[in-house]
Amino acid sequence: MATVSFNTVEKSFGATKVLHGVSFDIKDGEFVVLVGPSGCGKSTLLRMLAGLEEITAGTIAIDGKVVNDVESKDRDIAMVFQSYALYPHMTVGDNMAFSLKLRKADPKVMAERVDRASKILNLDPYLKRFPRELSGGQRQRVAMGRAIVRDPKVFLFDEPLSNLDAKLRVAMRTEIKELHQRLKTTTVYVTHDQIEAMTMADKIVVMHDGVVEQMGTPLELYDTPANQFVAGFIGSPAMNFLKGKVKSNGSAGFEGPNGVKLPLASAPANSEGLPAVYGVRPEHFTIADDGAEAEIIVVEPTGSETQVFAKLGGEQVVAVFRERHQFSPGDKIRLKPDPSLVHLFDEATGKRLNG
Amino acid sequence: MNWRTVSTEAKLLLIGIPVLIWTMLPIYHLVLFAISPKESALGGQLWPDHPTLQNFRIVFSEQHHYLDHFWLQMWNSLIIAVAVGVLTLVVATGAAFAISRLKVRGGRTMMNLALFTYFIPAAFLAVPMYKTMGVYGLLNNQWSLILAMVTIAAPYSIWVLKQASDKLPLELDEAAKMDGASPLQLFRLVYLPLMTPSLVAVGTYALLLAWNEYLYAFLLLSRDTQITLGVALGNFLAADDSPWELLMTTGLIYALPPAAIYYAFKRYMVGGLTAGAVKS
Repeated sequence: MATVSFNTVEKSFGATKVLHGVSFDIKDGEFVVLVGPSGCGKSTLLRMLAGLEEITAGTIAIDGKVVNDVESKDRDIAMVFQSYALYPHMTVGDNMAFSLKLRKADPKVMAERVDRASKILNLDPYLKRFPRELSGGQRQRVAMGRAIVRDPKVFLFDEPLSNLDAKLRVAMRTEIKELHQRLKTTTVYVTHDQIEAMTMADKIVVMHDGVVEQMGTPLELYDTPANQFVAGFIGSPAMNFLKGKVKSNGSAGFEGPNGVKLPLASAPANSEGLPAVYGVRPEHFTIADDGAEAEIIVVEPTGSETQVFAKLGGEQVVAVFRERHQFSPGDKIRLKPDPSLVHLFDEATGKRLNG
Repeated sequence: MNWRTVSTEAKLLLIGIPVLIWTMLPIYHLVLFAISPKESALGGQLWPDHPTLQNFRIVFSEQHHYLDHFWLQMWNSLIIAVAVGVLTLVVATGAAFAISRLKVRGGRTMMNLALFTYFIPAAFLAVPMYKTMGVYGLLNNQWSLILAMVTIAAPYSIWVLKQASDKLPLELDEAAKMDGASPLQLFRLVYLPLMTPSLVAVGTYALLLAWNEYLYAFLLLSRDTQITLGVALGNFLAADDSPWELLMTTGLIYALPPAAIYYAFKRYMVGGLTAGAVKS
């Protein structure tokens, strides 16, 4: 149980700067997911918290105590690696007990903790087996068991599910979330998969090019993305962006590409003619007579919903409908964004313009 | 069995038979001499009329002036070879761990410099080595040969072990570090167990290199009670009337331990020990 705080943390590898002053706080017991495209610095940040990378500048504190110069083993944190990193010459039981053995723990306590962890993870039938005799999912569970046995202040996960197949990934996702609800240990979880982030996190930290773009709960990020990057990164299929100008004289509106008229609930003050980006999520389109005309290119039914790719003012957009329309390519439809759910971003800075 | 497999087998035999003859011929001659009585040893027969084990009896009971110290020299060979094997392992494992896992600054350069010494033939280094050992007062001391052989075996051993170390996933070190292992614990509890196959291979290499060494053994040791069996074998040729059958018998005996060592350790030299460590 612990809090973690990053204070203007920077990291350089030689002349290359990969983290440009990252600051945020993690509350006790929180499940925080660091998410971002590859190369955004999320893994580096996690490894710095783990003590596997030096901190170039700034401070990292666990429970209010700065740990910049504290060795990994004294930070009381446990990490689950993407590649599992199990000791191949030790049995599952020995793998889990290794850290306790190094700490010269009482054999009785050791057996108890391994027993408890293996029960939680359903690993007790495999304690005497070697990692090579286990499946990928089982190995990942052993790696988690190794972390649980330590009973650390903070759990770190570095893309733990990336090596698993799609079905197992979904199952393990639930398992990790359940585990966190049970143990309530502060957790920092790194992934590049925004769905993993959305489904698991209490708080998501979206990173891009070494800076934090936004931190918030999954729904905050989904409903009010702070900028165009977060808006495009969170949500699948991704948000549609249409460039154009804000109309604020008279009733608010937006002039999209090729003069397409799009509705806007309210325009920011003094924004007449402001170049902006109009963002609308695929699920926020409806078919309406007063919508903008669009020509269907491709229809992709998935069963529960249908994705429709269409040209709107010359730009490709995607709309998702739960109801079953009889569409075929070439059809003209009228798409209307729900004005109350539309996002508006500054074209130059990418910052959010509406509330 | 169809024609394809027959033809594959035939091709293998076509290669296999000459290779077998090529390797077995010297051994056949060794054995032929060893079981021939003195008078028919050089008779040119394919098999002696009266095969005998008399030569072995003479060698084992040291009943020839060339063989006065046979058992002692055998022991010398063994103790020197084992010492070289063990010392090389200690030096090379430590170096490989430092270079490959601890990433000691300049480690790679050191290794490359050490490997560079192989550009100079061992024969050229013989005299400098002799002088060096003289400076340290180690001439006529078996340590001189042990140290010389470790010097020769170490660069290659370090290189082999470093290559093998590089293949161990780095995450294992990081996991151990997170679990609270010090570098020494990492070395002992994670690194050494995983390196076992390579260690056996390298140890065997150094051991056999020392066992088979002639030049340095001949140069650095001179007393009959100190020399290795290999050098003693060479001394057989000092006279014109060399007892060929005894030389060959001793040679055959001398060749057996390496074969035994090879077969004893072969089963440890298997790969795949890291299977299951990381997703590959």
